[in-house]
Amino acid sequence: MGWMDSTGFDALVTRHHPEIYRYLLRTTFRASEAEDLAQETFLRAYRAHRTLTPDANARAWLFAIATNVARNHFRTESRRRHAYATVHAEGSVAHADGPEGQTLFNEARVRLETVVAGLPLKQRLAFTLRKVHELDYDAIARSLDCSVDSARAHVFQALRKIRRSLNGYGLPLGSDDR
Amino acid sequence: MTRKPTTCLEIEPALVAAATGEADTTTAARVEAHTRTCASCRGEFASYRAIDRAVGIWREAPSPVETSVRERLETRLADLRRRALVYRIFPSPLGPILIARSEEGVTCVEYLVGGRDFAHSRLARMPGVEPIEDGAEVEALYGELLDFVEGRRSRLAWPLDLRLARSDFHRAVLTATARIPYGAVRSYAGIARELGRPSATRAVAQALRWNPLPIVVPCHRVIGLSGALTGYAGDKLTLKQRLLSVEGVPALKTAHDFRVPRDAMYVRSPDGSAYCLPSCTWIPAEPPQELTLFGSPAHAEAAGLEPCSDCHPDLHPISR
Repeated sequence: MGWMDSTGFDALVTRHHPEIYRYLLRTTFRASEAEDLAQETFLRAYRAHRTLTPDANARAWLFAIATNVARNHFRTESRRRHAYATVHAEGSVAHADGPEGQTLFNEARVRLETVVAGLPLKQRLAFTLRKVHELDYDAIARSLDCSVDSARAHVFQALRKIRRSLNGYGLPLGSDDR
Repeated sequence: MTRKPTTCLEIEPALVAAATGEADTTTAARVEAHTRTCASCRGEFASYRAIDRAVGIWREAPSPVETSVRERLETRLADLRRRALVYRIFPSPLGPILIARSEEGVTCVEYLVGGRDFAHSRLARMPGVEPIEDGAEVEALYGELLDFVEGRRSRLAWPLDLRLARSDFHRAVLTATARIPYGAVRSYAGIARELGRPSATRAVAQALRWNPLPIVVPCHRVIGLSGALTGYAGDKLTLKQRLLSVEGVPALKTAHDFRVPRDAMYVRSPDGSAYCLPSCTWIPAEPPQELTLFGSPAHAEAAGLEPCSDCHPDLHPISR
């Protein structure tokens, strides 16, 4: 038994902080909020990490904590509106990519972000966890405290809404179909 | 706007799954068969494929995390780690006992007398710490503590974290007490003298009364000048007697107290290298409070002392 058993936790932070931060950035669309929520996630994780068994999926566990933190954060409607308004007003605040020739990509991304920001919270989180961070449905169900079927349904509904919303946006849909 | 045929509505979830790479082969084949004949669903499929590509772009977009973000996280984590005390309450034979540790060392051992729970423990009221109930690491400590209390172990080689001491003087008393060897006793006055405050006997007793680490910092090895045990953990004098008895230190019951027979104990020589009989010429008659007393030659030798070559305590053991 080591007295300084902190190396395990340090490794956890190093390995997962960037993607947890990005997840929260894609959820809040504001760098300052993402930073606060990521801090909250890892402070909670530190308090609880001793209960983690060696074979546990630490990544899924951290995403579940981050999801909880985000849901608490968005418990107030005003914050939800705020996130939506941010994307609408500024486009993507999530990335400052510079003016390289990715305009089309960026455009598609900004539109996507705008639509995602307007989704109901559970659908938004389920969609981001599945499609951006590629967690399996078991992990998503645990994160959202729902059944696996519900998790699938949230992602399906999110995609349907995205499809409807982008219809009028003229996203280059239907091209490049192999 | 025309309504979709029922078959198209039914196949929609499968179509979305297939277009976004989530369908198994059977489902994908079913969707393919349908889209071959249904132009509107073919268009839908293409749209979802396009969305999937846009999501892919979103996913792959570089978004480096600024160093300062990580640094601020490290600062907050470091602060929490300094404050965090992991604890658990165990149902020991001595009654419920709370053990807490930090990343530096064992921080608190508390007898929860009278059915007190965590909310009424000292730890819960301590400012500047964050207690976290947990277990596995503390459980190992409890196992060793139990072995110690029951005489199966004579050392607790744990790093100590004395942050719960109430003052620097209290901390110095605890550190001095931690140096008393297993199976030995000293007096409150002796510790006061060692710390350069010979008149602070009562302050030493007070510091030990607030010992945050009983058993681990062996305040049970500190007794009155008369040999009286004088006090322990409020009213747990029998516990003090029991702990001493496990360590081979006799304590005889008197009308109100237990008393260590000071004149029937082995004495550490003033230079700290040997142990003597109380009558040895090396042992100064005054002041008596300086002495460290052992219950048996075995414990004195375990503490690294040689038998005195003048009084030969090994050849003439004290009979009690």
